[in-house]
Amino acid sequence: MKKRLYIELENCIGCRSCLAACTQCGGHEQRNRNYVYDVNPHVNRQTMPLMCLHCENPACARSCPAQAIQIHETGAVLSALVEKCIGCQNCTIACPYGIPKFDEEENLMYKCDLCIDRTKDGIPPMCASVCPSNTLQWLTEEEIEQKQQQHDLDNGKWVTSMPYLEGETNVKVNLPGILQGTEKLF
Amino acid sequence: MAETVLRKPMKATHSINNAFASKFAKSMFLTVSAIIVLMFIGTRMFTHVDLNLYGYMVGTFVFIAGFFYRFIAWGERPPTKIIIKKGIKLLFRKSTPKISADHLATYQFIWNRGIYRWTQHLLIGWGVILSCLVTFPLVFGWMYFTMEEGGYYTIVAMGIDLMTVPADGVIAFLSYNALNFTAIMVIIGVSMALYRRLKNMQARAEQKFLYDFLPLYLLLFISITGLILTFMNVFLHGAGHYMMSLIHQYSVIVTLIYLPFGKLAHIPFRPLSVFARNYREHYGEQSMKECKVCGEGFVSTEQSQDVVNVLGTNEIDFTMEKDGFNLAELCLPCRRKYRIARFSGFPTHEVKTKEANQNAKG
Repeated sequence: MKKRLYIELENCIGCRSCLAACTQCGGHEQRNRNYVYDVNPHVNRQTMPLMCLHCENPACARSCPAQAIQIHETGAVLSALVEKCIGCQNCTIACPYGIPKFDEEENLMYKCDLCIDRTKDGIPPMCASVCPSNTLQWLTEEEIEQKQQQHDLDNGKWVTSMPYLEGETNVKVNLPGILQGTEKLF
Repeated sequence: MAETVLRKPMKATHSINNAFASKFAKSMFLTVSAIIVLMFIGTRMFTHVDLNLYGYMVGTFVFIAGFFYRFIAWGERPPTKIIIKKGIKLLFRKSTPKISADHLATYQFIWNRGIYRWTQHLLIGWGVILSCLVTFPLVFGWMYFTMEEGGYYTIVAMGIDLMTVPADGVIAFLSYNALNFTAIMVIIGVSMALYRRLKNMQARAEQKFLYDFLPLYLLLFISITGLILTFMNVFLHGAGHYMMSLIHQYSVIVTLIYLPFGKLAHIPFRPLSVFARNYREHYGEQSMKECKVCGEGFVSTEQSQDVVNVLGTNEIDFTMEKDGFNLAELCLPCRRKYRIARFSGFPTHEVKTKEANQNAKG
């Protein structure tokens, strides 16, 4: 059954387990490919993860002169093919979310590949496997649908991707309860 | 009346391009013509064509057709077109020879990816390149050997007597065995690559038979059949030579035809990395794009604009009307913080503080 990465941003407690887990994914060579940000660092402790959202029309791949960024049949936008990436860094400029990282030494771009060695077999990506606060979840379409109904406040504040992101994405994002004016009970 | 307005006067152009149906046709015609002219010179008016190698010649022409088909289609993509156009313009920068040597000869960047991978790539890469440098001059008669007096070979290059060497000397030995040495290089390199593909978990997850294994098997097949030829000649008094030389020839031709379409296509396309480096360095020296939020230069103005244009041709536009900038005008940390701001409603990107702990190191 097709599952998606689903991010419920407001749950993030800033533990950075997802970053640590990312480094342990096969082929990531001890380097993480995702981010955790303080929302208002001098005032409170709210954090949010920032992952590649795996756009359906990825700007990174569109801007790549070498066709090094391939799209997997599961919809995952893969990291640069090592033999094709020519190190122009167009993708880092094109990505609306600033996700791709570039290694100057290896002359190679690397980005979240949604742990394709796992997700192609239906195993959740490393980040979702370890997230202790259910910020990152690995859900079926129906479960995401349920989430939507559960959180829909009928005021346009529920968001899975459009129109709040720059395009349709394979990863679905839920905008925080902070915006919805609700507090969650865990 | 309207008709007369619409009708444009036919402009008489004499551009060479008008002689050909397409870019492909032009490239193909010019390349094949050039090879034939060089053959004419090299073989002293076609008197020294080695017809034993005629299959390779046909295979090469088919390869060239495939190569142009693939390369021209690829070069039409908007981002590729920009890199090629500006790369050619910047080809004569002072740093080009050094970057080319680093990227195309010593593979410095692969060394940085791992010594094992560098070793296998060096063996396969240089094994193949050296083999081509020996094979194709022989196929097209740009290099051949004559024996005017017993015991001495004259090496003829492009129709010119280059040198006369003793048939049992060092240079002659190296010439006869060049392909044996490169075959051994390729076999060792391919074996290392196959071993890595069997053991490395990431490679095992991503590799496909047609894309990742087939080129390795083809190279292995060529190298082994080539070595068997030598073995048959040296130890079996040439028994089975003709059959094996045909098998070897077929394997080379199949590889040549396949080359522009699979993983090996990175051989002719890889010089673009030199273009890309020149492009970044040249325009970076001219002017850097300053981030609209933090003011730090993070990429050349030229490249920033090029990317915006390329995305425009794909009908992708990341202009943020409300904030008055395009996302490509933000440096990477600011762009990420801006996204957090869009998620949270709080302007994270305007808080002047460095992004904290992005490496999960305590």
